[in-house]
Amino acid sequence: MPELSDITNEYIREEIEEFLERPEEIERNIALFSRTSPLMQQIAAALIAGDMVTVDQLTRQALDDGVGAFEIMDDGLIAGMGIVGIKFREGYVFVPEVLISARAMKAGMAHIEPILAASGVEPIGTVIMGTVQGDLHDIGKNLCIMLLRGGGFVVIDLGVNTKPDEFIAAVREHNAYIIGMSALLTTTMPNMAKTVEAFKDVGLRESVRFMVGGAPVTPEFGQDVGADGYGKDALACVELAKKLAIEVR
Amino acid sequence: MSDSNMEAFQKRLDRMSAIFSDIVAHAEEQSLTRCPYRNRFDLCTAMFRCRNQLPTEDGNPDDLACGHDGTFDYRSAWESNPRAVKRTKERIGRIKRDAEQRRRDRRKETDDR
Repeated sequence: MPELSDITNEYIREEIEEFLERPEEIERNIALFSRTSPLMQQIAAALIAGDMVTVDQLTRQALDDGVGAFEIMDDGLIAGMGIVGIKFREGYVFVPEVLISARAMKAGMAHIEPILAASGVEPIGTVIMGTVQGDLHDIGKNLCIMLLRGGGFVVIDLGVNTKPDEFIAAVREHNAYIIGMSALLTTTMPNMAKTVEAFKDVGLRESVRFMVGGAPVTPEFGQDVGADGYGKDALACVELAKKLAIEVR
Repeated sequence: MSDSNMEAFQKRLDRMSAIFSDIVAHAEEQSLTRCPYRNRFDLCTAMFRCRNQLPTEDGNPDDLACGHDGTFDYRSAWESNPRAVKRTKERIGRIKRDAEQRRRDRRKETDDR
Protein backbone atom coordinates (compact mmCIF):
# COMPACT_ATOMS: atom_id res chain seq x y z
CA MET A 1 0.00 0.00 0.00
CA PRO A 2 1.47 3.37 -1.01
CA GLU A 3 2.45 5.82 1.70
CA LEU A 4 2.65 9.58 1.90
CA SER A 5 6.44 9.42 1.69
CA ASP A 6 6.10 7.79 -1.74
CA ILE A 7 4.97 11.16 -3.11
CA THR A 8 8.04 13.05 -4.28
CA ASN A 9 6.57 16.53 -4.29
CA GLU A 10 6.81 18.14 -0.88
CA TYR A 11 4.03 20.64 -1.54
CA ILE A 12 1.58 17.85 -2.43
CA ARG A 13 2.62 15.86 0.63
CA GLU A 14 1.97 18.87 2.86
CA GLU A 15 -1.38 19.55 1.22
CA ILE A 16 -2.55 16.01 1.88
CA GLU A 17 -1.20 15.99 5.41
CA GLU A 18 -2.52 19.40 6.37
CA PHE A 19 -5.85 19.75 4.61
CA LEU A 20 -7.32 16.33 3.87
CA GLU A 21 -9.35 14.91 6.72
CA ARG A 22 -11.45 12.02 5.41
CA PRO A 23 -9.52 8.73 5.48
CA GLU A 24 -10.87 7.57 2.09
CA GLU A 25 -9.78 10.85 0.46
CA ILE A 26 -6.33 10.69 2.05
CA GLU A 27 -5.91 7.12 0.85
CA ARG A 28 -7.19 7.88 -2.65
CA ASN A 29 -4.92 10.89 -3.09
CA ILE A 30 -1.85 9.13 -1.72
CA ALA A 31 -2.53 6.25 -4.14
CA LEU A 32 -3.03 8.73 -6.99
CA PHE A 33 -0.03 10.99 -6.45
CA SER A 34 2.39 8.22 -5.46
CA ARG A 35 2.05 6.71 -8.93
CA THR A 36 2.32 9.97 -10.87
CA SER A 37 5.51 11.45 -12.26
CA PRO A 38 7.27 14.36 -10.53
CA LEU A 39 6.28 16.64 -13.39
CA MET A 40 2.58 15.79 -13.00
CA GLN A 41 2.87 16.43 -9.27
CA GLN A 42 4.45 19.79 -10.02
CA ILE A 43 1.55 20.69 -12.30
CA ALA A 44 -0.97 19.68 -9.63
CA ALA A 45 0.93 21.63 -6.97
CA ALA A 46 1.06 24.77 -9.12
CA LEU A 47 -2.66 24.47 -9.84
CA ILE A 48 -3.49 24.12 -6.14
CA ALA A 49 -1.36 27.20 -5.45
CA GLY A 50 -3.18 29.07 -8.23
CA ASP A 51 0.08 29.63 -10.12
CA MET A 52 -1.23 30.05 -13.64
CA VAL A 53 2.16 30.84 -15.19
CA THR A 54 3.77 27.67 -13.87
CA VAL A 55 0.82 25.47 -14.89
CA ASP A 56 1.03 26.99 -18.35
CA GLN A 57 4.79 26.37 -18.65
CA LEU A 58 4.79 22.87 -17.17
CA THR A 59 1.88 21.67 -19.29
CA ARG A 60 3.69 22.86 -22.39
CA GLN A 61 6.85 21.16 -21.19
CA ALA A 62 5.03 17.91 -20.47
CA LEU A 63 3.50 17.84 -23.95
CA ASP A 64 6.92 18.59 -25.48
CA ASP A 65 8.33 15.70 -23.46
CA GLY A 66 5.76 13.41 -25.01
CA VAL A 67 3.40 13.05 -22.07
CA GLY A 68 -0.13 12.27 -23.28
CA ALA A 69 -2.95 14.80 -23.03
CA PHE A 70 -5.08 12.44 -20.93
CA GLU A 71 -2.24 11.77 -18.52
CA ILE A 72 -1.76 15.51 -17.97
CA MET A 73 -5.47 15.93 -17.39
CA ASP A 74 -5.72 12.97 -15.00
CA ASP A 75 -2.52 13.26 -13.01
CA GLY A 76 -1.89 17.00 -13.14
CA LEU A 77 -4.90 19.18 -13.76
CA ILE A 78 -7.87 17.14 -12.49
CA ALA A 79 -5.86 15.69 -9.60
CA GLY A 80 -4.89 19.20 -8.48
CA MET A 81 -8.42 20.55 -8.86
CA GLY A 82 -9.70 17.63 -6.80
CA ILE A 83 -7.58 18.81 -3.86
CA VAL A 84 -8.80 22.39 -4.33
CA GLY A 85 -12.41 21.14 -4.21
CA ILE A 86 -11.74 19.33 -0.93
CA LYS A 87 -9.99 22.36 0.61
CA PHE A 88 -12.95 24.53 -0.39
CA ARG A 89 -15.46 22.11 1.10
CA GLU A 90 -13.46 21.98 4.34
CA GLY A 91 -13.24 25.77 4.57
CA TYR A 92 -9.48 26.18 4.04
CA VAL A 93 -9.94 28.22 0.88
CA PHE A 94 -12.84 30.24 -0.47
CA VAL A 95 -14.41 31.19 -3.78
CA PRO A 96 -11.69 33.69 -4.85
CA GLU A 97 -8.94 31.08 -4.35
CA VAL A 98 -10.97 28.40 -6.16
CA LEU A 99 -11.41 30.72 -9.13
CA ILE A 100 -7.68 31.45 -9.23
CA SER A 101 -6.99 27.71 -9.37
CA ALA A 102 -9.68 27.29 -12.04
CA ARG A 103 -7.91 29.98 -14.07
CA ALA A 104 -4.64 28.05 -13.68
CA MET A 105 -6.41 24.91 -14.87
CA LYS A 106 -7.66 26.80 -17.90
CA ALA A 107 -4.05 27.81 -18.68
CA GLY A 108 -3.11 24.12 -18.79
CA MET A 109 -6.20 23.09 -20.74
CA ALA A 110 -5.40 25.74 -23.33
CA HIS A 111 -2.49 23.51 -24.44
CA ILE A 112 -4.50 20.30 -24.25
CA GLU A 113 -7.56 21.49 -26.19
CA PRO A 114 -5.84 21.91 -29.58
CA ILE A 115 -4.45 18.38 -29.31
CA LEU A 116 -7.87 16.99 -28.52
CA ALA A 117 -9.39 19.06 -31.32
CA ALA A 118 -6.79 17.74 -33.76
CA SER A 119 -7.81 14.24 -32.69
CA GLY A 120 -11.41 14.96 -33.55
CA VAL A 121 -12.76 15.94 -30.14
CA GLU A 122 -14.94 18.95 -30.73
CA PRO A 123 -16.22 21.22 -27.98
CA ILE A 124 -19.98 21.27 -27.44
CA GLY A 125 -19.88 24.89 -28.48
CA THR A 126 -18.28 28.25 -27.88
CA VAL A 127 -19.87 30.55 -25.33
CA ILE A 128 -19.13 34.26 -25.07
CA MET A 129 -19.53 35.37 -21.46
CA GLY A 130 -19.51 38.85 -20.01
CA THR A 131 -20.94 41.04 -17.27
CA VAL A 132 -22.84 43.81 -19.04
CA GLN A 133 -21.73 47.40 -19.46
CA GLY A 134 -21.61 49.40 -16.23
CA ASP A 135 -21.48 46.33 -13.99
CA LEU A 136 -18.35 45.10 -12.23
CA HIS A 137 -19.71 41.98 -10.48
CA ASP A 138 -18.09 38.84 -11.76
CA ILE A 139 -18.15 35.98 -9.24
CA GLY A 140 -21.37 34.41 -10.52
CA LYS A 141 -20.18 34.70 -14.11
CA ASN A 142 -16.82 33.18 -13.20
CA LEU A 143 -18.46 30.21 -11.48
CA CYS A 144 -20.57 29.68 -14.61
CA ILE A 145 -17.45 29.82 -16.76
CA MET A 146 -15.70 27.25 -14.57
CA LEU A 147 -18.65 24.86 -14.91
CA LEU A 148 -19.11 25.49 -18.63
CA ARG A 149 -15.46 24.66 -19.28
CA GLY A 150 -15.76 21.54 -17.16
CA GLY A 151 -18.83 20.66 -19.22
CA GLY A 152 -16.91 20.71 -22.50
CA PHE A 153 -17.60 24.23 -23.75
CA VAL A 154 -15.00 26.65 -25.00
CA VAL A 155 -15.63 29.89 -23.15
CA ILE A 156 -14.45 33.33 -24.18
CA ASP A 157 -14.55 35.49 -21.08
CA LEU A 158 -15.00 39.18 -21.87
CA GLY A 159 -14.81 40.10 -18.19
CA VAL A 160 -16.84 42.88 -16.64
CA ASN A 161 -18.29 46.13 -18.01
CA THR A 162 -18.74 44.58 -21.46
CA LYS A 163 -20.13 46.87 -24.14
CA PRO A 164 -22.57 45.56 -26.79
CA ASP A 165 -19.93 46.08 -29.50
CA GLU A 166 -17.51 43.88 -27.59
CA PHE A 167 -20.03 41.02 -27.51
CA ILE A 168 -20.59 41.44 -31.25
CA ALA A 169 -16.85 41.52 -32.01
CA ALA A 170 -16.28 38.37 -29.92
CA VAL A 171 -19.09 36.49 -31.67
CA ARG A 172 -17.62 37.38 -35.03
CA GLU A 173 -14.04 36.59 -34.03
CA HIS A 174 -14.77 33.24 -32.42
CA ASN A 175 -17.67 32.15 -34.59
CA ALA A 176 -19.73 31.66 -31.46
CA TYR A 177 -23.47 31.33 -31.21
CA ILE A 178 -24.16 31.35 -27.48
CA ILE A 179 -23.83 34.50 -25.41
CA GLY A 180 -24.09 34.63 -21.64
CA MET A 181 -24.77 37.99 -20.03
CA SER A 182 -24.67 38.64 -16.33
CA ALA A 183 -25.78 41.65 -14.26
CA LEU A 184 -26.10 42.24 -10.56
CA LEU A 185 -27.62 45.70 -10.56
CA THR A 186 -31.08 46.77 -11.67
CA THR A 187 -29.40 49.86 -13.12
CA THR A 188 -27.24 47.79 -15.47
CA MET A 189 -29.83 45.16 -16.44
CA PRO A 190 -31.21 47.34 -19.25
CA ASN A 191 -27.82 46.97 -20.91
CA MET A 192 -28.75 43.35 -21.55
CA ALA A 193 -31.59 44.65 -23.72
CA LYS A 194 -29.20 47.13 -25.36
CA THR A 195 -26.88 44.26 -26.27
CA VAL A 196 -29.70 42.16 -27.74
CA GLU A 197 -30.87 45.16 -29.76
CA ALA A 198 -27.32 45.83 -30.95
CA PHE A 199 -27.23 42.28 -32.36
CA LYS A 200 -30.49 42.99 -34.20
CA ASP A 201 -28.97 46.21 -35.56
CA VAL A 202 -26.09 44.31 -37.17
CA GLY A 203 -28.27 41.44 -38.37
CA LEU A 204 -26.77 38.82 -36.07
CA ARG A 205 -29.69 38.24 -33.69
CA GLU A 206 -31.08 35.19 -35.48
CA SER A 207 -27.76 33.37 -35.53
CA VAL A 208 -27.09 33.56 -31.79
CA ARG A 209 -28.80 32.58 -28.55
CA PHE A 210 -28.70 34.73 -25.42
CA MET A 211 -28.75 33.42 -21.89
CA VAL A 212 -28.96 35.77 -18.92
CA GLY A 213 -28.40 35.52 -15.20
CA GLY A 214 -27.46 37.42 -12.07
CA ALA A 215 -29.02 38.00 -8.67
CA PRO A 216 -31.77 40.49 -9.67
CA VAL A 217 -32.48 38.81 -13.00
CA THR A 218 -35.67 36.71 -13.25
CA PRO A 219 -37.13 34.60 -16.06
CA GLU A 220 -39.58 37.44 -16.71
CA PHE A 221 -36.73 39.95 -17.02
CA GLY A 222 -34.99 37.54 -19.34
CA GLN A 223 -38.03 37.63 -21.62
CA ASP A 224 -38.28 41.41 -21.32
CA VAL A 225 -34.72 41.94 -22.52
CA GLY A 226 -35.28 39.49 -25.37
CA ALA A 227 -33.05 36.66 -24.12
CA ASP A 228 -33.57 33.05 -25.13
CA GLY A 229 -33.10 31.64 -21.67
CA TYR A 230 -32.46 32.39 -18.02
CA GLY A 231 -30.21 30.48 -15.64
CA LYS A 232 -30.84 30.88 -11.93
CA ASP A 233 -27.37 29.61 -11.01
CA ALA A 234 -24.21 28.16 -12.50
CA LEU A 235 -25.61 24.63 -12.72
CA ALA A 236 -28.68 25.88 -14.57
CA CYS A 237 -26.42 27.94 -16.82
CA VAL A 238 -24.64 24.82 -18.09
CA GLU A 239 -27.90 22.96 -18.71
CA LEU A 240 -29.27 25.98 -20.55
CA ALA A 241 -26.11 26.34 -22.65
CA LYS A 242 -26.36 22.67 -23.65
CA LYS A 243 -30.01 23.14 -24.62
CA LEU A 244 -29.26 26.29 -26.64
CA ALA A 245 -26.30 24.59 -28.33
CA ILE A 246 -28.61 21.85 -29.64
CA GLU A 247 -31.27 24.37 -30.61
CA VAL A 248 -29.01 26.63 -32.63
CA ARG A 249 -27.10 23.91 -34.48
CA MET B 1 -9.99 10.09 -32.44
CA SER B 2 -11.41 6.63 -31.92
CA ASP B 3 -14.71 6.04 -30.12
CA SER B 4 -12.86 4.64 -27.11
CA ASN B 5 -10.79 7.81 -26.89
CA MET B 6 -13.92 9.91 -27.17
CA GLU B 7 -15.36 7.89 -24.35
CA ALA B 8 -12.17 8.40 -22.34
CA PHE B 9 -12.37 12.14 -22.90
CA GLN B 10 -16.02 12.20 -21.86
CA LYS B 11 -15.08 10.39 -18.65
CA ARG B 12 -12.60 13.14 -17.84
CA LEU B 13 -15.16 15.83 -18.60
CA ASP B 14 -17.57 14.05 -16.28
CA ARG B 15 -14.97 14.04 -13.51
CA MET B 16 -14.27 17.75 -13.99
CA SER B 17 -17.99 18.47 -14.01
CA ALA B 18 -18.44 16.52 -10.78
CA ILE B 19 -15.67 18.46 -9.03
CA PHE B 20 -16.95 21.81 -10.28
CA SER B 21 -20.59 20.99 -9.52
CA ASP B 22 -19.67 20.19 -5.90
CA ILE B 23 -17.73 23.46 -5.71
CA VAL B 24 -20.64 25.49 -7.09
CA ALA B 25 -23.16 23.81 -4.78
CA HIS B 26 -20.95 24.55 -1.78
CA ALA B 27 -20.36 28.13 -2.97
CA GLU B 28 -24.13 28.67 -3.13
CA GLU B 29 -24.59 27.36 0.40
CA GLN B 30 -21.63 29.33 1.74
CA SER B 31 -22.79 32.56 0.12
CA LEU B 32 -25.62 32.75 2.66
CA THR B 33 -23.16 33.75 5.35
CA ARG B 34 -19.95 34.67 3.62
CA CYS B 35 -19.53 37.06 0.73
CA PRO B 36 -18.08 35.21 -2.29
CA TYR B 37 -15.65 38.06 -2.91
CA ARG B 38 -14.02 37.57 0.51
CA ASN B 39 -10.83 35.53 0.22
CA ARG B 40 -9.10 33.31 2.78
CA PHE B 41 -7.19 36.29 4.19
CA ASP B 42 -10.54 38.06 4.75
CA LEU B 43 -9.64 40.59 2.09
CA CYS B 44 -12.21 41.85 -0.39
CA THR B 45 -11.47 40.88 -4.01
CA ALA B 46 -14.37 42.80 -5.55
CA MET B 47 -13.73 45.44 -8.17
CA PHE B 48 -16.61 47.57 -6.93
CA ARG B 49 -17.36 49.53 -3.78
CA CYS B 50 -19.15 47.84 -0.89
CA ARG B 51 -20.25 49.16 2.49
CA ASN B 52 -18.38 46.33 4.22
CA GLN B 53 -14.98 47.27 2.80
CA LEU B 54 -12.54 48.52 5.46
CA PRO B 55 -8.88 49.55 5.48
CA THR B 56 -6.62 46.68 6.46
CA GLU B 57 -4.87 46.62 9.83
CA ASP B 58 -1.46 46.92 8.20
CA GLY B 59 -2.69 49.94 6.24
CA ASN B 60 -1.73 48.51 2.85
CA PRO B 61 -3.48 50.88 0.41
CA ASP B 62 -3.84 48.11 -2.21
CA ASP B 63 -5.94 45.91 0.06
CA LEU B 64 -9.38 46.25 1.59
CA ALA B 65 -10.55 44.04 4.41
CA CYS B 66 -14.06 42.62 4.51
CA GLY B 67 -15.83 44.01 7.57
CA HIS B 68 -18.84 41.75 7.33
CA ASP B 69 -19.46 39.69 10.46
CA GLY B 70 -20.93 36.70 8.64
CA THR B 71 -23.95 36.45 10.93
CA PHE B 72 -26.68 37.20 8.40
CA ASP B 73 -27.44 36.70 4.75
CA TYR B 74 -25.73 39.76 3.30
CA ARG B 75 -27.59 39.21 0.03
CA SER B 76 -30.73 40.87 1.36
CA ALA B 77 -28.80 44.13 1.07
CA TRP B 78 -28.54 43.44 -2.65
CA GLU B 79 -32.25 42.88 -3.19
CA SER B 80 -33.83 45.28 -5.60
CA ASN B 81 -36.62 47.50 -4.39
CA PRO B 82 -39.85 47.27 -6.40
CA ARG B 83 -39.60 50.85 -7.66
CA ALA B 84 -36.13 50.20 -9.07
CA VAL B 85 -37.43 47.07 -10.79
CA LYS B 86 -40.31 49.07 -12.29
CA ARG B 87 -37.91 51.76 -13.54
CA THR B 88 -35.66 49.09 -15.02
CA LYS B 89 -38.55 47.47 -16.87
CA GLU B 90 -39.57 50.87 -18.26
CA ARG B 91 -36.01 51.52 -19.39
CA ILE B 92 -35.83 48.14 -21.11
CA GLY B 93 -39.11 48.93 -22.90
CA ARG B 94 -37.71 52.29 -24.05
CA ILE B 95 -34.46 50.72 -25.27
CA LYS B 96 -36.39 48.18 -27.35
CA ARG B 97 -38.80 50.77 -28.79
CA ASP B 98 -35.94 53.18 -29.65
CA ALA B 99 -33.93 50.42 -31.29
CA GLU B 100 -36.95 49.31 -33.34
CA GLN B 101 -37.61 52.90 -34.44
CA ARG B 102 -33.93 53.33 -35.34
CA ARG B 103 -34.04 50.21 -37.49
CA ARG B 104 -37.30 51.34 -39.16
CA ASP B 105 -35.77 54.75 -39.95
CA ARG B 106 -32.69 53.10 -41.38
CA ARG B 107 -34.79 50.78 -43.56
CA LYS B 108 -36.84 53.74 -44.77
CA GLU B 109 -33.67 55.67 -45.62
CA THR B 110 -32.40 52.73 -47.64
CA ASP B 111 -35.74 52.31 -49.43
CA ASP B 112 -35.90 56.06 -50.26
CA ARG B 113 -32.46 55.91 -51.84
